[in-house]
Amino acid sequence: MNTRERARALAQAASAFPGFGPGSEEALLHLIHTELGSEDTLEPWAPPRRTRAVAPGTILHIISGNTPHAGLQSLLRGLLLGSHNRCKLPSAGLPELEAFYARLPEALARRVELARTLPPEWLAEADAVVVFGSDTTVQALREQVRPEAIFLPHGHRVSFGIVFDDSALASLPGAVEDVCLFDQQGCLSPHLFYVAPEQALAYAERLAEALEAVAPAHPVLTLEEVAAIVAVREEAAFIPGARLWQNAEATPRWSVIYDPRPGFTPSCLNRTVFIKPLPADLPAAVAPVRAYLSCAGIWPPTPAHAERAAATGVSRVCPIGQMQRPPLTWRQDGQPVLAPLVRWVDYELA
Amino acid sequence: MVTRLLARLRDPAPIVEPEFNTLALELFALQRRQNAPYARFCEGRPEPAHWSAIPAVPTGAFRHAALRAFPEAETVATFRTSGTTGEGFGSHHFATLALYEASILQMWARLGLPRLPQVLLVQPPAQAPHSSLSHMMGTLGALGPQTWVLGEEGQLDLPALRAAVASGPVLLLGTALAFLHLFEALGAERLPLAPGSFAMETGGYKGTGRSLPKAELYARFTTTLALEADAVFNEYSMTELSSQWYTHGLGRPHHGPPWARALVVDPASGLPVAEGERGIVRLFDLANAGSVLALQTQDLALRRGEGFELLGRDPAALPRGCSRAADEFLS
Repeated sequence: MNTRERARALAQAASAFPGFGPGSEEALLHLIHTELGSEDTLEPWAPPRRTRAVAPGTILHIISGNTPHAGLQSLLRGLLLGSHNRCKLPSAGLPELEAFYARLPEALARRVELARTLPPEWLAEADAVVVFGSDTTVQALREQVRPEAIFLPHGHRVSFGIVFDDSALASLPGAVEDVCLFDQQGCLSPHLFYVAPEQALAYAERLAEALEAVAPAHPVLTLEEVAAIVAVREEAAFIPGARLWQNAEATPRWSVIYDPRPGFTPSCLNRTVFIKPLPADLPAAVAPVRAYLSCAGIWPPTPAHAERAAATGVSRVCPIGQMQRPPLTWRQDGQPVLAPLVRWVDYELA
Repeated sequence: MVTRLLARLRDPAPIVEPEFNTLALELFALQRRQNAPYARFCEGRPEPAHWSAIPAVPTGAFRHAALRAFPEAETVATFRTSGTTGEGFGSHHFATLALYEASILQMWARLGLPRLPQVLLVQPPAQAPHSSLSHMMGTLGALGPQTWVLGEEGQLDLPALRAAVASGPVLLLGTALAFLHLFEALGAERLPLAPGSFAMETGGYKGTGRSLPKAELYARFTTTLALEADAVFNEYSMTELSSQWYTHGLGRPHHGPPWARALVVDPASGLPVAEGERGIVRLFDLANAGSVLALQTQDLALRRGEGFELLGRDPAALPRGCSRAADEFLS
């Protein structure tokens, strides 16, 4: 398969797949064009071209999160480049990625291997290693990778929403969806929403009502997760000016905490959402977590508001409701995604 | 109330029911009366008829509110928690340290450890005035001569340590992290302590990104310091409390003093779990007279009789998602 055929097959396989955001054959080719200079740069060299990009023979993807985006997109990029891809999945598996694999045409599927435990030779044989995980995981793997292999670590990230103005609560269904998809476990899941101060309390109240309607009746939570949620709820009573909404059942299904303090409060996840009045200086409020920011979902989605959101240090700005649907061509962590994986051959014959 | 409690702590007769219940309910009423944030927390909750039903404050609340059961002007000491969540540290204020210090010393008397020279892998109180751990270790100075081997910057003075343990049995005290650093600094070197020595480790690795399973840590005590696991004590407490729970060796439950109680509860219902079941530790401490006597931790444990066996975090339950590690990166 050549580059265009791979782009077409991947766009097709991804299109019917809910784990991917928007994307097309053209968008994927455009990604190659912008990162590698031209669409045919991965094809065998022929004059008068003076250069060729060579993809890694084998890419090892270490996928530790249980949200599908990162793994799916990493595999898609590896296939787009034409590499052989070995995916180490979480020990509990990753159904979305396995389903995507099942949808691939044979010519691409044979370039994919999946495993839930890491075969020792995979690390030694990889020409490039892409790692998703904690600093500890990244550090441990870095030490085991061949020194000349390409090593691309992706650490943990956090995301949030900004409601600049929404008295009609038009963004509410989207906010609920961003919170509920993947139980808030993803890099792109909102930990909190900053809402225009005069609208924040009402937004919290309505978000609570909406969550009550859609949150799963019997969420599967570990003892630690329940303990963390209950602690956050009970602590709210000690925060001056804070208000708490929660489900009535003993098992925590959802929680909304209105917290007037402007600082970025990481959520304990599983539909635990902080609503904070939007401060005048938002970049200062999120400064302690600036290095870890990924996505800001905004409302209304206007260019001016997008610029204000970008000033916080995020690498992706999208409308609220689209946070969990990054396009196929998303630059994860705000960095090029194909360029770091290839090496170049320059032909100086003339 | 503090004077009465102090006298009672120093009295060797154990505090059993119904006395504990009476004291706890009386102290609870006093604390609720004198502390507005706690009173707000108790609003809408049923009036407790038994100490086990006293509303337990989550430890994180100390980061948000001043939980003083006395006028602010009477504050003589404030201990601070490490701020691991990006929201700053928690503060535990005291109007008197008499109960805190009595609790430490009376419980040590009950542990029955011999009075040995103490070597401390902890910053001295003068260098860490807001550390409850340093204050506790300083208080233990009443029981024997002390050598402090951790410098102002937290660096370990190995020559001083070697000299201090050379002349006979000692009691070596420090955090689990300090012991980990000691073992790393010694490398393959063995530093066998004289027979009759003990060690006490406390605290975890919270916010350091470091960890070592307890069994492995205790194996290092044996290989490096020639201390069998049973000669190593673990102290479990927190800045937000005034009493301590102890165990020694591996796989044994922690027990506290007679003026305190521990429950292992189901976090969803708040009710005690059955014997041997998993839950989270809820503590009731009469020595915590100046703040709140009932405290809810997030520490996982098995219910073991009147005590509890702490559980390490389940590795399978750890980073489930990429936003899971907020604690990790904010530390």
